[in-house]
Amino acid sequence: MENELTIALCKGNLLKPTLVLLAAAGLPNDGVTEDSRNLVFTYAEDGIRYLICRPTDVPTYVEQGAADLGIVGKDVIVEQQKDVFELVDLGFGACRFVVAVPETLKDVRLKDLNYRRVATKFPRVAEAFFRSQGMQVEVIKLHGNIELAPIIGVADLIVDLVSTGKTLRENNLVELTTIMASTTRLISNPVSFRTKFDRIEPLVQVMQQIAKGGIDRAD
Amino acid sequence: MKNKEIPKGLRDFLPEDVKARRKMEEKALKLFRSYGYEEVSTPTFEYLEVIEARTGRNSWEELYLFIDREGRILSLRPEMTVAIARGAATHLREAVFPQRLCYIANVFRHVQPQKAQYREFWQMGIELLGASGARADAEVINIAVETLRTMGLDNFKISLNQIAIFNSLLDDSGLEEEEKRLVRRLVENKDLVELGRVLNNAKIEDDLKEIIAKLPVLHGGIEVLDRLGPVEQNRRAAQAVAELGKVYEDLKAYGVNEHIVIDMGVLRGLDYYTGIVFEGYSSELGYGLLGGGRYDNLLQQYGFPCPATGFAIGMDRLALVLKEPDEEPVRLLVGGTNWELMVEKARELREQGYIVETDVEQCTREELAAKAATKGNCRVVFIE
Repeated sequence: MENELTIALCKGNLLKPTLVLLAAAGLPNDGVTEDSRNLVFTYAEDGIRYLICRPTDVPTYVEQGAADLGIVGKDVIVEQQKDVFELVDLGFGACRFVVAVPETLKDVRLKDLNYRRVATKFPRVAEAFFRSQGMQVEVIKLHGNIELAPIIGVADLIVDLVSTGKTLRENNLVELTTIMASTTRLISNPVSFRTKFDRIEPLVQVMQQIAKGGIDRAD
Repeated sequence: MKNKEIPKGLRDFLPEDVKARRKMEEKALKLFRSYGYEEVSTPTFEYLEVIEARTGRNSWEELYLFIDREGRILSLRPEMTVAIARGAATHLREAVFPQRLCYIANVFRHVQPQKAQYREFWQMGIELLGASGARADAEVINIAVETLRTMGLDNFKISLNQIAIFNSLLDDSGLEEEEKRLVRRLVENKDLVELGRVLNNAKIEDDLKEIIAKLPVLHGGIEVLDRLGPVEQNRRAAQAVAELGKVYEDLKAYGVNEHIVIDMGVLRGLDYYTGIVFEGYSSELGYGLLGGGRYDNLLQQYGFPCPATGFAIGMDRLALVLKEPDEEPVRLLVGGTNWELMVEKARELREQGYIVETDVEQCTREELAAKAATKGNCRVVFIE
């Protein structure tokens, strides 16, 4: 389809606020759900197609041009380092990358953690952060339950994404420092941005306006 | 059994693939020649000191480096422009300019292999040496358009920019050196969110902030130059804007402007570009098809100051968007019982312009018919 816009959306926590955003931006969202077996939703009359996928796949879909646009967290974008346009800070889904240590180490200074083992789902972010501090650490990539790693002795500290910090507290971990803050972003394939500029540009304007007003107030 | 892996990001080209590539090459060469461009070829690898003139985003990480037995560092060529600049500075000092050169070559970059991105890939392109001015740029851009048209593409756009607009505004912005580097990196990485944030906190005039933030997404017909805002205070930027307008005007004579858009986000990421730059996109592929521009200071690095402009097309990407190949020519499979007659018949048919295979296995008519059925448009000629 020549002028159809394909937008990759994240399953999970981000889906609900994303659907609110789409409605506020005047895009269709009837029946979009991650509970159905259907992962592609087409609205022919609006020229819109959504792909519902895992957050970590969104930048890949957009970079390859399988989707023109994507709505995904900065945390995923920065870890994946794909060649995409990052167009709008949508404001919702706020979280932070933090370095956290077991409570017993809570008074430790960052530089005393040189050469230690760091468990994380985000090896690039972790590696880049410690290198920027002039430190070397052994990064251990895990796929989930990062907060368990120090308890069972797989790692000395962790780099993880937190929103409230509740999970850290429950596992007797304390935040040592914040690496960066993250919110949800609108991203675009660089070629789509040019070949479908007339459709994407107005959407960018609308989403910028909505983000300024705060997406939570839109529902 | 021997290992039969091939290095990551490399490919074997089977007859179908090579046929498609040769077809692209023939069409392009014919077009380039018709504009007076002559084909050149340069070494597959060069000294690193030569290749080093190519600086910019990821340029170092992408090189395939090795050492020769005299201990000098060599690099597989990552592109052709630098090699042609080096060669021109050696061989063309006495030439009458402008010189029009073209090439078809495999180039090598250590990139993450994925769709439309390989570690050995094929480029064809042209370089117009020794001509400055808008008409030289217009000629090169027109040939880029013509090349894509010749390949049968119609749904494509060429994004046009003059990088001195962005560079001059940034140079004279009053930002700290560190901030300038950051702004440049954010614009190259297309991170407009962070760019907006950095500019917001910068201590420069609001007008200027607005222009720099707007440039990467300023896109449209020639009228976008009017939306640029007040750049007149910056003499070099204003000149660059005027030059962009001039190239756009000069392109009109070729009748290709339906394919041209002004796009201030095109910066190309390589430091050797000095003026007009452009990229080509098809709406059928999420990656750029071609890129080029003016590099007036590159030859000077090899001791021969000379203005230049050119472009290269990624042939592997182009192949992904081309339509079905033309119909297969007729192939004949000559068999029979008398070898002399078979060879004679095959020669006759070849002279008539057919593609002729001769049976070397003494097959029966039925066996040959079965073989012919596995090939496209193939018929058996059997001599009793």
